[in-house]
Amino acid sequence: MSDQTGPGTPGPAGSGGGDQPGDSAQERVHYAGYQGEPADKSDQDSMSSIFKRAKHPVDTSGAPVGGSGISAGGPDVPAGTSDGPEALGTPPNQTDSTRDPETTVMRTGDAGVAQPTYGTHARGGGGLTLRPPRAEDVDRRAERRAERLIACWFLISVVGTVGFVITNFVGDKHQAYYTPCLGSALGLAVGGLGIGMILWAKRLMPHEQAVQDRHEFTSPKEEIAVTEAEITAGFADTGLARFPLLRRTLLGAGTVLGGLIVVPLLNLTNSKPGKKLDHTSWVKGSRLVTGDGRLVKLGDISIGGIETVFPAIPVTEADGTTTYKPKTDVHTKADSTTLLIRLPPGLDRPRKGRENWSVEGIVAYSKICSHAGCPVSLYEQQTHHLLCPCHQSVFDVLDGCRAIFGPASRSLPQLAIAADDEGFLYARNGDYDEPVGAAFWERS
Amino acid sequence: MTTASPPEFVKRPTPVRKANRAIDERFGTQAGLRRNLNKVFPDHWSFMIGEIALYSFIVLLLTGIYLTLFFDPSNTEVIYHGSYVPLKGVEMSRAYASTLDISFDTRAGLVFRQIHHWAALIFVASIVVHLFRVFFTGAYRKPREVNWLIGVGLLILAILEGFAGYSLPDDLLSGTGLRIAASIAQSIPIIGTWASFLVFNGEFPGDNFLPRLYVIHILLVPGVLLALIGAHMGILWHQKHTDFPGPGKTEHNVVGHRVFPVFAVKSGGFFMMVFAMLALLGGLAQINPIWLFGPYDPSNVSAASQPDWYIGFLDGSTRLMPPWEFRGLGHTIPAVFWPTAVLPGILFTLLALYPFLEARFTGDTKSYNLLQRPREAPTRTALGAMSISFYLVLWISGGNDVIAKTFSISLNAMTWSGRIGLIIVPPIAYAITKKICLSLQAKDAEVDHHGIETGIIRQLPSGEFVEDHRPKPSPVPDHPQVPNDRFALPSANGHGNGEGKGLARRAGKAVSGFFVEEKETGPGGPSTPVGGGKH
Repeated sequence: MSDQTGPGTPGPAGSGGGDQPGDSAQERVHYAGYQGEPADKSDQDSMSSIFKRAKHPVDTSGAPVGGSGISAGGPDVPAGTSDGPEALGTPPNQTDSTRDPETTVMRTGDAGVAQPTYGTHARGGGGLTLRPPRAEDVDRRAERRAERLIACWFLISVVGTVGFVITNFVGDKHQAYYTPCLGSALGLAVGGLGIGMILWAKRLMPHEQAVQDRHEFTSPKEEIAVTEAEITAGFADTGLARFPLLRRTLLGAGTVLGGLIVVPLLNLTNSKPGKKLDHTSWVKGSRLVTGDGRLVKLGDISIGGIETVFPAIPVTEADGTTTYKPKTDVHTKADSTTLLIRLPPGLDRPRKGRENWSVEGIVAYSKICSHAGCPVSLYEQQTHHLLCPCHQSVFDVLDGCRAIFGPASRSLPQLAIAADDEGFLYARNGDYDEPVGAAFWERS
Repeated sequence: MTTASPPEFVKRPTPVRKANRAIDERFGTQAGLRRNLNKVFPDHWSFMIGEIALYSFIVLLLTGIYLTLFFDPSNTEVIYHGSYVPLKGVEMSRAYASTLDISFDTRAGLVFRQIHHWAALIFVASIVVHLFRVFFTGAYRKPREVNWLIGVGLLILAILEGFAGYSLPDDLLSGTGLRIAASIAQSIPIIGTWASFLVFNGEFPGDNFLPRLYVIHILLVPGVLLALIGAHMGILWHQKHTDFPGPGKTEHNVVGHRVFPVFAVKSGGFFMMVFAMLALLGGLAQINPIWLFGPYDPSNVSAASQPDWYIGFLDGSTRLMPPWEFRGLGHTIPAVFWPTAVLPGILFTLLALYPFLEARFTGDTKSYNLLQRPREAPTRTALGAMSISFYLVLWISGGNDVIAKTFSISLNAMTWSGRIGLIIVPPIAYAITKKICLSLQAKDAEVDHHGIETGIIRQLPSGEFVEDHRPKPSPVPDHPQVPNDRFALPSANGHGNGEGKGLARRAGKAVSGFFVEEKETGPGGPSTPVGGGKH
């Protein structure tokens, strides 16, 4: 259908080399220039001598000057056509470690470009596309420019480091500029080095397409057989199969010893759960104290008002008087925090048996969410709903703080309160009659 | 080219060679050294995501060491007298006070604290994106399943480590997070109460819990992380990196740059870049301003309290969970147990088992070194998209109160749409993704057979109309290319190619040249992109 349109065979293997440089003699010279035909190059460029050393760390054959060792010469590089990629340095030195020469390195400038093909070569670099030469490869001035650019970034890094040191020691750490300056300077210091290094690798280091063989991980059958046989023999030597008593006692001892791990685990706490989760710090007669230490009296809370309170434990002094000791430490707050809400008269629908747990519309519920223990701290005055900001459980205060939406399934526990003769609110029944906070296995 | 003669043994070694020989005399390093320096790593941008994770981890170690020198992980209550005025005279734990001191009264304290926090976020994020890369390209297939398992372990540990670090300063947010964690531990059937008491040393908030958490955060988990990262890298090194198919690439070779020098220098530079980015973030972008939250108080919480991003999906699952609490036989299994313990357990188990499940269901037990494009494995890609959409619904629901407030939506509506979305969105994502993959496959096959449509309709002598097709272009190398004539800028006065000139244009080109390779343009001059250029 489309065979009139193009000369090439449509398909992955055809029409190669569209973008790749052709293989004209001109181009070959062009590329070879990079790889260092010194004669050519010095003809073109008179400022070559010092540059050559810097620019051509490898000689024509690819043998490294510094001895970094390119084990090259992949076995299956298609060397059949003279135009194919020429391996940089066919095996430079066959030492024992290059028994299987597994890395082939091709560089821009070695040769033209292989025909790109998708194929199922067993291995080797057939069809590799080399990158076309960069400006730096063919133009010494471009190379100098790149070098200067990289050096510039390295110097920027130094500026950043100096800036960091100066800011750190001379800067005023209480000023707003301090942290942004340090961060920017550090960013310059490491970033300058980073950009410089990447440019260095991209612009000045030779582009290469190194091809390395992968090894099968599966061992030869003989190897497996021998290994298995040796392990079997070794196991037989231990006698574990022959002496059942030895085997069983060893297993037993090992299991018992392994069980020892329970000891340090249990030692992690001296505080056994017991019934601790069932109780809070509220005791009978505790007055209600706010976070700033004020005992709550009738009339302190206006209608629609809300107050977070903690227990003030009654302590009988030596002279017989009773004082109230506020408990607002973190452990008490974690389970005894209580919300006082004054509802408009007539709205509250107390549960059965709790009709006298409130005073003048003031109800007291645990502030610790029955879902995951967060403080239920958002109160919507219009709807009389309490919202937990952690997971959005909603509790209906009018209906005994029943959970009406969200993941919580239990009502907030209610604290029975009353007012004494002086008008102080107190816990009339003592503690909550159910555990506060998140549920747990032992809870019925 | 000729074959090189072996290099001469240098008789008068330079100091570096001397050192090399001294080491070799003792360990016999030369063959191994050469083998490893000549190790070939393939080039692809997606292979650098895991590197970001590695480098963030190094930054975490460096900044973390600095922070340990100043941080005091103590529950002891003190009165704050530092230089942050709003909190002067407030009672707080020494952990919180020392974090304030690091932030306000320690040289370079705040910047390193913020770099540490940013690095933690980026660490987990890059692990997740790396996971996507590995998943969608099938890089986990045999023989690399063990590295997949290690990777899943690293992800879980990274999340735990992040949460531990987030909890250490003992501010209001971190304390609230710990409270929820204690409730989750408490919710485990049978052992829950004991588990919570053992972890927290008593009923929450426990007795001297912070020193314990500190040891977990700076020794235990990082130690395991370090060991697992070592194993991850070691296995990668041994098994060699996977690569995408391409010209000259087969199942039996690796094509790319050798470790020394190009890959090493590039990677070193990349580490510096990651570090620099984190430093800039740490210096310029405020994160976790604990002084605004105040010290932990179990009776207080601020609205719209959000955990770090990687905990968000658990927060979301907890919010979406209906209030289903099992009660009976004198026992309770709280609702919080399912979304926070069971769900992540199932998710991470499925994630870990995925390579084995796939091998089981496809019956494919061959080893692979070449990667797949996502479209080549439609079911896997669709499953991945399904999982991601499931995760995203949870993650978005983790901030549903913020979304509801920002867009004035009912919070209940947000929760309900999350609940429904969690059930219907993943199957839709599955179906759409699979359809897209199959369509892309069909398109690829068509292009392979008929070439690319040109839009040119031609009438044949017989009167038949046909559309011209262009043959599929030959495969291009997977490094991006741009024209390399970027310094030859013609004028924009109507005679050039319309690309303009001037400093900005040159700068733009220079910058883009940093990210992409130059492209050799044909002898016909610079190629103009279709639809681009001037008219």
